[in-house]
Amino acid sequence: MGIQDVSVGVIVNGKERCAEVEPRTLLVHYLRDGLGLKGTHIGCDTSQCGACTVMLDEAAVKSCTMLAVQADGTEITTVEGLGTIKNLHPIQQGFWEEHGLQCGYCTPGVMVAMVALLKENPNPTDEEIRIGLEGVICRCTGYQFIVNAVKHAAKLMAEQNIEIEEVLS
Amino acid sequence: MKMEHSYSFKGISRETLWKTIQDKEVLRKALPGCKVFEEVEDNVFHSILGINIGPIKGEFTADVQQVDKQEPESYRLLVHAKGKPGEIEADAAMHMEETEDGVTLTCNADVEVTGLLASIGQRIVGGVAKVVIGQFFKDIEKETKQMAEM
Amino acid sequence: MVKHVGARLKRKEDPKLLTGNGNFADDIQLPGLLHAAILRSPHAHALIRKINIEKALQAPGVVAIYTGKDLEGKIGRIPSSWLVPDANLKEAPQYPLAIDRARYVGDGIALVIAEGRYAVRDVLDLIEVEYETLPVAVNQKEAMAEHAPLVHDDIENNIALHWKAGEVDDADIDGAEVVVRASFNVQRVAPSAMETRAAIGQYNPGSGELTLWCTSQNPHIHRMVLSEVLNISESKLQIIVPDMGGGFGGKIGVYPDEALIGYAARDLGRPVKWVEERNEHFSASNHGRDEIIDVELAGKSDGTLTAIRVRNTANLGAYLSTMGPGVATIDFGLMITGAYAIPKASCETFGVYTNTTPTDAYRGAGKPESTYQIERAIDLFAKKIGMDPIEIRRKNFAKKEDFPYTNAQGLVYDSGDYEKPLNKALEMIDYKKLREEQANQRKKGKLIGIGISTYVELCGFGPSAVAGAIGFQGGVWENSTVRVHPSGKVNVYTGTSPHGQGHDTTFSQVVADKLGIPMEDIDFVFNDTKAISMGWGTYGSRSVAVGGGAVSMAADRIVDKAKKIAAHELEVSVDEIDFSNGVFQVKGAPSKRRTFKEIAKSANMAWNLPADMEPSLEKQAFFDPSNFVYPFGTHIVIVEVDKDTGEIEIKRYIAVDDVGRVINPLTAEGQVHGGIAQGVGQALWEGIVYNDAGQLLSGSFMDYAMPKARFFPRIETAFTETLSPVNPLGAKGIGETGTTASIPAVMNAVIDALEPYGVKDIEMPLTPEKVWRAIQNGEGN
Repeated sequence: MGIQDVSVGVIVNGKERCAEVEPRTLLVHYLRDGLGLKGTHIGCDTSQCGACTVMLDEAAVKSCTMLAVQADGTEITTVEGLGTIKNLHPIQQGFWEEHGLQCGYCTPGVMVAMVALLKENPNPTDEEIRIGLEGVICRCTGYQFIVNAVKHAAKLMAEQNIEIEEVLS
Repeated sequence: MKMEHSYSFKGISRETLWKTIQDKEVLRKALPGCKVFEEVEDNVFHSILGINIGPIKGEFTADVQQVDKQEPESYRLLVHAKGKPGEIEADAAMHMEETEDGVTLTCNADVEVTGLLASIGQRIVGGVAKVVIGQFFKDIEKETKQMAEM
Repeated sequence: MVKHVGARLKRKEDPKLLTGNGNFADDIQLPGLLHAAILRSPHAHALIRKINIEKALQAPGVVAIYTGKDLEGKIGRIPSSWLVPDANLKEAPQYPLAIDRARYVGDGIALVIAEGRYAVRDVLDLIEVEYETLPVAVNQKEAMAEHAPLVHDDIENNIALHWKAGEVDDADIDGAEVVVRASFNVQRVAPSAMETRAAIGQYNPGSGELTLWCTSQNPHIHRMVLSEVLNISESKLQIIVPDMGGGFGGKIGVYPDEALIGYAARDLGRPVKWVEERNEHFSASNHGRDEIIDVELAGKSDGTLTAIRVRNTANLGAYLSTMGPGVATIDFGLMITGAYAIPKASCETFGVYTNTTPTDAYRGAGKPESTYQIERAIDLFAKKIGMDPIEIRRKNFAKKEDFPYTNAQGLVYDSGDYEKPLNKALEMIDYKKLREEQANQRKKGKLIGIGISTYVELCGFGPSAVAGAIGFQGGVWENSTVRVHPSGKVNVYTGTSPHGQGHDTTFSQVVADKLGIPMEDIDFVFNDTKAISMGWGTYGSRSVAVGGGAVSMAADRIVDKAKKIAAHELEVSVDEIDFSNGVFQVKGAPSKRRTFKEIAKSANMAWNLPADMEPSLEKQAFFDPSNFVYPFGTHIVIVEVDKDTGEIEIKRYIAVDDVGRVINPLTAEGQVHGGIAQGVGQALWEGIVYNDAGQLLSGSFMDYAMPKARFFPRIETAFTETLSPVNPLGAKGIGETGTTASIPAVMNAVIDALEPYGVKDIEMPLTPEKVWRAIQNGEGN
C-alpha cells in the first residue's frame, strides 16, 4: 500500500513476540492471524461486545479497536494465558462449574474482563458483577450463570490466597 | 431527516451576504475539508470534500446545484455527495432575512443518507451536521467581513 | 450406578472453549487461503446501471471480481425451503448476486476475492456502481396498498402468500357478549448471534470434491440445497460446521453467500474465506418477527372465551428466506388459541414482500408472536370484564383430562397440565400478598406491575409426513449411529447440530444410562455431512425430542445385540440375561457375567458370535416422531415503572416451565435464562429500524440495543415434569420457551403497572420515551 510495515514488540502470555506488521493491523488480527492465538474473538467491530477483550498491562482492553502498533512495548494476556486444561484459572473453573457459557464465543473476552474486575474487587456482589459486565454482550446465557461463575471464581481465588498466605507464614 | 439551522450575521447587509455566498473562492475556503471546488456549468459545481462524522471518515465527491435563485432573498441547494461510507442526498432551502443589526440566514434541509452513514452514523449525523454547518457559516461570516474590508 | 439423566452435570464441551481451543469458522487457516468480501447495495431499491471494476482490478492483491451478470447460469437460484401449500405462494427468484436490480440494503452486488483480509476490503472500495434509485416499499401494510411500489414486478400488491386456517363467522364475533379488538406490532429484531456468519470453501480439482465449512444450524439442509445451487453431487459436497457462536434461527438459512464462496473456491481452485462483519450481518443476515397482528377475541361476561379471529400481516423482506414462509403461517396461525380451549379460531395471514432484509425463523419462530397476541388479548379481555388475569386463564385452560388435546384448528397437543406450573409459580410469588402490596405502593404513587403469561408452544419438529403436508421441503426425522469400538469406548453420530446448547453433554447422559458406561467413554460427532449420514439440524427445539429419540433408540439396539452376544457366550437364552449398570448377567447367577467392555471386544473381534450374526457393534436408528411436542408453563414478571422517566425496572422474574423430562437441569436452566433474555430484549430494547427510504438505521450494537447483564434481576426458575408420549425420552423442547413466554409477560406487567393511567397498549420495544409519553397522555394526567 506504499506504507512501510512497522515493527511491534509485545510480551504475550509471557512470551516475547516481535513482528513487522502493516500499520493498520488491528491488535486482534495480530493476535489471531499473526500469533495464532485464535481464542480471542471478534463479535461486533465497534467495541460493544467485548468478545475481543485482552489484558494489556493490567487493564482490560478491546483488541478490535486498537492497533497492534499501539500495543508496542506492552504486556498482553489473552485467554490462552489464563490457564491450561490441566491447570485452569479460577475464572475458567468458575465458568465451567456454573455453566457460565453456552456457545463459548464471547467467553474468552468475558473471562478476561472479569479477571480485571476481580483484581479491582476480589469479592463483588451480584450487582457489582452485573455492572462490571457492562462492556460485554452474551447472547446465550442471559448472564445469570456468568454472575454465578464470577462469584465462584472469587471464592476459589480467596481460598487460593489463604493457602498462599499459609505457605508464606 | 429534516434539519434546520440558522445563523445571524451581524452588521452585514443582505446584498453583501448574497455576494459572498455566491463567491466560489469563499465557498471553497468555507466548505469542510474542501479539496476541489469548480463550477462545471452555470450554478452547477463539482467538489471533493473531506468529511469526518464521528467514527465515519472519508472523502466525498459532491455535485452541488443552485436553483430557484431569488436574489438576494433565497435559493435552493441540491447536493448529491458520494463517498465510501455512503451517499448523501440533500435539498436545502436557504433563506436570508434582514434583521435590525444584520441578516439571519436560515437553512431548511431534507437530508437522506445511505450505507454506513445511515446504519451506523444516523444517530450522530444530525448533531455533527449542525457543527459542520455552524462552522461553515462562521467561516462565511469571516470571509464576508474580509470582503467588506477590501 | 447413579443415573445420568436428570443429573445437574457440568458440560463436556466446555474445557476447549474455556481455554481458547475452540475452532470457530474464522479460526480455520488453509494453505493459500484467499479472502472474500461482498459489495452490498446501499440502496433499498435501485436499478444497477453499470458496475465499473476497472480500478478495482488494478488494486494490489486482487484475484477475482464477480458480478451478478458474470454468474448468470453458473450458480442456480437460492430457493426457499418452506413452500406453504394452499397459500397462492409466489416465490420470486433470488440470485446469488443481484443482476440488474437491488431490492434491499445489503443485497449482494459483487463478490471480490483477494490476497489478504485487509486487501479485499480495499478492492471493495474501488468498485464503482451506478444505481438508479426506485421508489421503495418498507412497511408491509403499506406495501400491500394499491399503487405501492412493486418489489418484484410480476407479484401483485407484493403479496407473497395468502393463507387461512380455521373458520370464524362474523356472528361469532359480533354476536358475542364481550369482544376485545387489538392490533399488535411484533417488531422486527435481529437474532444477533455473537459470531457473525462465515464460510470457507476448498475444492480439489482432482477428485471434484468441494468442502465448505460454514456457519449453519443444519449442515445437511445446506448440503441438499447447495448441491442443487452449485450443481455438484451431494456425494462430493461436504459441509462442516465448526464450533459455532450461536444461531437463534439466523443460521438456519441457506444464503447466497455460502453458494458464492463454494463457487469461487471451485472456480479459482484455491481456498476462499469469507467472514461477515457485524454491520454487514445487520443488513445481510435474516431478521426475525415483523408481524402486524390484528386480533378479535370474543367471549362471555363470565370470562368464557368463545372465538378468536386473527389476521397477521407479515413482512417477509425482499426474498423468501429458507423457512420464512412457514413462520407467520403454520408456526403462528395454528397456535393462536394458546393454552385455552377456545372452540372457534381462525387465522388469515398475508406474507408481504418489501425492500428490506428477508425475515426467517428467530428463536420461537411464530410462537412468540402467537403467544404474544393471545396472552395480551386475554389480559385485555380480563380487564374489560373486571376479572383477575389468573382467574380468566384458569377458567379457559385446556383441561388436564382432555389430553391429548385437539385445538380449534385441529392441532393435537401431546400432553399437558397447565394448572401445575401456574400453581407452582403463584406459590413462588405469593400472588395474593403481592396484589395487596401493589395496591399499597400505588397509594404511595409507585407503579408496580404484575405480568403473567401461561404459554404453550409447538416444537420438536416433527413428524415428517406432517412436514410434507405443510410444504416443508425436507424431512424432520432424525438419525443416530452408535459405534462401539473394541475398547468399549463409543462414538455417537447424530444429525442435530449443536452450537451452544450442549448436545454433547445431554446426549451423553442418555447414552451413559443406556449402555451403563461412564460419560468420559462417549464422544459425539456432529456437524459433518461426511461423518453423519443424514439429519435435519437444530431449530424448532427439536434436538432432545427428536435427535435424543434417535440416540436413545440406537443405544437400545446396541444393548439388544450385546445381550445376544452375552447370552451366546454365557450359553443361556437371551431372556435369561439381565442388563444393568453396564453388566450383562445371567438371572439368578450373578457370577455368570460379561461387562459391556468385554462384549465390545467380542463383537469387534467376531471370533465367536452367534450363528448368522454380523460382526461389530454398531447400530443406526432413524426416529420420526408421531407428533410435535408442546411444552408449556407460567412466567410471572414484576416490574416497577418510574413515572417521571418512563424507565422500567424488572424487580422479579419467575419462570416455571414444563418441558417433559429434564435431562440436565443445569443446561435446561441455561436455556431458560437465555431465552428469557432474548424475549425481554424484544419487549423492552431491541428493534431493527428502517426509515421511509428503506435505509437500515440500526446497523451496529451502538444502534441496536442488546440486553445487558445489569438489566436483569436474578431469574427464579422451576420445572414441573409432564412427560411427552411421543418420544422415547418423554422430553419436550426447551430452547424457545423462555423467549415465547417472556415477551407478553413483560408487556402485561408494564401495562398492569400503568393501569392507573388507563394505558392499554404500547408498541414494543418499550423505550422510556414511549412509556413516558403513554403516562403523559394517560387518564388523570
